[in-house]
Amino acid sequence: MSNKPVNHARAAEHFLEDAPHLQFHDERLWDMRQKRDGQMHMLPEWQDLREEASRIKEHTLSRLPEYLEQFEENAKKNGIHVHWARDGAEHNRIVGEILKAHNARNLIKSKSMVTEECDMRPYLEKQGVTVTETDLGERIQQLDDQLPSHIVVPAVHKLTSDVAKIFAKDYHTDPNIRDPHLLAEAQRQAARPVILHADAGMTGGNFVVAETGTFVVCTNEGNADLSATVPNLHIATIGIERLVPRMADLGVFIRLLSRSALGSPITQYTTHFRGPQKGGEMHVVLVDNGRSARLGMEDFWTSLKCIRCGACMNTCPVYRRSGGLSYGAVYSGPIGAIIDPTFNERKYSTLPYASTLNGSCTNVCPVKINIHEQLYKWRRVLVQHHEMPFVKREIMHMAGKLMGQPKMYRAAIKMTEVSLGSMPRFVLYNWLNPWGKHRENPHPVKQTFNDWYRKNREKAKPAAASETKK
Amino acid sequence: MSAARDEILQALRNNRPTPENHPLPPVRTLGDLDASRERFIASLKILGGDVLEPVEGETLDQAIMRRHPDAKVICSNVPEAKGTLPVEKVKTPQDAATIDVTVVRAPFGIAEMGSIFLSESQLPINSFAHLGQHIVVVLSPDSITANMHTAYQERPEFKSANYGVLMSGPSATADIQGVLIRGAQGVRSLSVWFA
Repeated sequence: MSNKPVNHARAAEHFLEDAPHLQFHDERLWDMRQKRDGQMHMLPEWQDLREEASRIKEHTLSRLPEYLEQFEENAKKNGIHVHWARDGAEHNRIVGEILKAHNARNLIKSKSMVTEECDMRPYLEKQGVTVTETDLGERIQQLDDQLPSHIVVPAVHKLTSDVAKIFAKDYHTDPNIRDPHLLAEAQRQAARPVILHADAGMTGGNFVVAETGTFVVCTNEGNADLSATVPNLHIATIGIERLVPRMADLGVFIRLLSRSALGSPITQYTTHFRGPQKGGEMHVVLVDNGRSARLGMEDFWTSLKCIRCGACMNTCPVYRRSGGLSYGAVYSGPIGAIIDPTFNERKYSTLPYASTLNGSCTNVCPVKINIHEQLYKWRRVLVQHHEMPFVKREIMHMAGKLMGQPKMYRAAIKMTEVSLGSMPRFVLYNWLNPWGKHRENPHPVKQTFNDWYRKNREKAKPAAASETKK
Repeated sequence: MSAARDEILQALRNNRPTPENHPLPPVRTLGDLDASRERFIASLKILGGDVLEPVEGETLDQAIMRRHPDAKVICSNVPEAKGTLPVEKVKTPQDAATIDVTVVRAPFGIAEMGSIFLSESQLPINSFAHLGQHIVVVLSPDSITANMHTAYQERPEFKSANYGVLMSGPSATADIQGVLIRGAQGVRSLSVWFA
């Protein structure tokens, strides 16, 4: 995998060139945000729920080893095989071995961000296992050989015509279909035989209950329940941070999750797995992959509270206008920008800059992660670690020098004002001035603040000084 | 395997924030505590589910035929309906694939969400709830609990069932250009019959 920093700005520029896609993407995500607001306004206890969720998660993270052991003990008692994976490679090897032991060649799976993190599909395919994504959006992305662009709606950057084209190639449907109902039906018809003949099913897990050894999967399409109940072998891949102590804690989280994500009160399916089905076998793979290290980062450990609702992505003006794929990472949007650098600081060093620090992400987060503050803190860390793009570093360097010398600064401002008013456009709008892309430079002013102050307030100075002495 | 386990747990012990600063909050019951049938129905409809209202003197079998006139295979796991396929015939998970309408009883529902609960105790086989085209759920109006807090605190099924699903309306997707489609990959419709 390349270690080169992701050029988010360039990828976003590319995204912005396509007006129909951009407009739909922006509006669709904003619609989800507004539906979320609608749900929030219906519940007077909304802020209490967020506070509870945040406190339960912070408590759990502070006692994670104990709760993981409790979960493991209870799950084993109920007949679940529990595995531990330090990283993606170990996770993939474990899953591969389970499948091999059952001679399972056809795996159906529902959406799981952790398996994306581990890059599991190519690994299993090399072992001769056919992996079929059963979630509609995820399947579209699989057929198009792209990462999910959003953690809840993986193909949100595509239009119906794009899906029609992809399905025509693989499902032999009419490439000119413009009715999403027909395409969803094509997916149902294509998936059924694969599901009925699958050797194994795989899911993720939204929550893990230590008290009972249960894991919970929240979905809408029914594909996760089909994947878990039709084949007799069920493997669930879950990040170690997904724990809650008690069954009763789920009340708080289930009430927040889908309302924050899609603005629907609950997902159509909320499924609690506590043990294998009759005649079946169940495995849980608990994945660390950098999480235990993140827990030790004083400024960033609370990002582990995330319940993957995507509300921060839906509200983010940068995400809505750049698309998830422009982040070049498994996790995109504001939450991606604060967790991706923990996977690879150099590669994802540009992502914390994909923000205006407006704080909207923090305001909508159901578990109260201070996302915009972490974005800011990451910038500081990256500068300290010299992971700052050259141009930005040089500009900051020059700006720092300039602002440190008042005389030079004032002279520069005057010069800028003169140039803004008199220079031809090609001098003001070019690659040296990224600010001038897609927007106009500010109008020059006749008088700077400093000039105005000297003229109007300078004389009053001694009086003002004696005033303050009183 | 145990090396990974020990290493992860040790790293978590070394890195975690001070536990004393993060006490476990007590369990709370928040929000609307209305457990009425009316609230349940209103919530169910928001999620695309429906109520099967009996026309005068109608049996459940007749109501199902009225709702699903094209259904050929109806399989009931409740004494209130006979169906066309004896439930004993459904032995493997795949057997449920040919069913048009499955009929089950839910031990409880949740008014806040219009959700119904099903577990292996109500299903001949777990896939029964998902492979059929439509599902009809028999629910006693007395077994409705107010909201998610009361459900998780009061219902013992969450701690005893190996497989427990809350279904809130039929399967759905909005993955193609944001268009909401009811009937994605699981059941195409979910109707509740109060009895």
